[in-house]
Amino acid sequence: METFTYSHFPSASSIVHIAFFTHVSNAKALRARIINAASLTGKQGDDERERVNFAFVDARPVASLLHLQTAICQAILSETQDVLRTKTVHSEILWALNPSHNITEAIRRYGVSDTTTSLLVVRVTSPDLTDVEARMKAVVDGQLEDLSALASTTDWATVKKYYKLAGEDALKEADGDDVRERLVIDSIAVSTVAMKSVMNT
Amino acid sequence: MDSTIALLASSQPVSQGAEAALYKGTLHSASAPLLLKHRFAKGYRHPTLDASLTKARVAGEARALMKCLRSGVSVPGIRFVDASAGVLGIEWIDGRSVRFLLGGGDEGVDDEEADETEETEEEDALAEYGVARDELMRRIGTEIAKMHLADIVHGDLTTSNMMLRLPSASPTNQPTLFLIDFGLAYTSALAEDKAVDLYVLERAFGSTHPDAEPLFAGVLAAYEERMGKHWLPVRRKLEDVRLRGRKRSMVG
Repeated sequence: METFTYSHFPSASSIVHIAFFTHVSNAKALRARIINAASLTGKQGDDERERVNFAFVDARPVASLLHLQTAICQAILSETQDVLRTKTVHSEILWALNPSHNITEAIRRYGVSDTTTSLLVVRVTSPDLTDVEARMKAVVDGQLEDLSALASTTDWATVKKYYKLAGEDALKEADGDDVRERLVIDSIAVSTVAMKSVMNT
Repeated sequence: MDSTIALLASSQPVSQGAEAALYKGTLHSASAPLLLKHRFAKGYRHPTLDASLTKARVAGEARALMKCLRSGVSVPGIRFVDASAGVLGIEWIDGRSVRFLLGGGDEGVDDEEADETEETEEEDALAEYGVARDELMRRIGTEIAKMHLADIVHGDLTTSNMMLRLPSASPTNQPTLFLIDFGLAYTSALAEDKAVDLYVLERAFGSTHPDAEPLFAGVLAAYEERMGKHWLPVRRKLEDVRLRGRKRSMVG
């Protein structure tokens, strides 16, 4: 797990913890747990929601750490300005990653699904919360990896599809060179996430 | 305090214009540097109008950049947008303006640094990037053509608004030419608008660089090659614009 400090955001949302898990074996149960937590009531509900209070991002359609971090930054910005389009800053990260304005589609594409095996877990919080890695490990059955390992799980064809990049001139420039093409896809994906708030389609 | 204003306060001022101020900053503790362009509030405009103009211009600039990125035009990537604060964050390009590399000095850099750089021979400056002058002109023409083929008109094409990135700062280790500052960009398919773009650049070459004519000829040759069949209408319009100047006649 890595921790990043956003000193310009209010203290309550100034710390971002990101962990990368591979060989995740409980995706189906985790997804059911997240859905169930939303409908529980009383103290039991609050406790359960706190245990799954993370953004669970399927790593396959994530192009790079910068791609994820750009979504995180724009999501926290929306939270601080009180203009969240979804219920929480964590669900907003999923929404920010997907280029369309359809929340259900964003969760289906970027959220944890029954077939997820590699997972990015994000917690936006204050500097006071300390045992975050343990809390993440408590809900995800998988192998904790270095964030740099993310490059190996990106499914470029899916990113290309989600961002509607087939046939774009930018990709023709890459001329079949995989390394160049990935740089172009990442660059467009990152920029699309950054400017989503001013994209009116 | 507004978080984006706090972000600017923690960033390094780079330059200040009439429309916007530029800063070099970072988004978080491990972030790569980015260029923050702040369209600050204009006291001479009604606050409501000012807020909506600022928002529209940040959005417009971001959309022009996005269209360029998708069209394969070499422009900096977008990293952060807060339209209500008037801030656009783009990828930091580690390099120099074409204006500087051609010996025209740097615009909008504080005096101290300008004094230092005046003594640098322009040949040395370009040599550091491993790009010959002719090659640089060719790349400029090609990027402008790609932009125009995507029906984007820059609106302020000058050699200050083009940068060459240091090979060492590139993921592919190649010097890359970037078109920057899309603050006045708009979408247009008209050959007239594209011709004015070229004319503005021609004038910029003429006023800041000795030996401008062969340089600009190099730009146009590459532009022509890339534009293909779209070159002819632009060439015709460029001849008209050269005769009458940038502004269209009010008669007729």
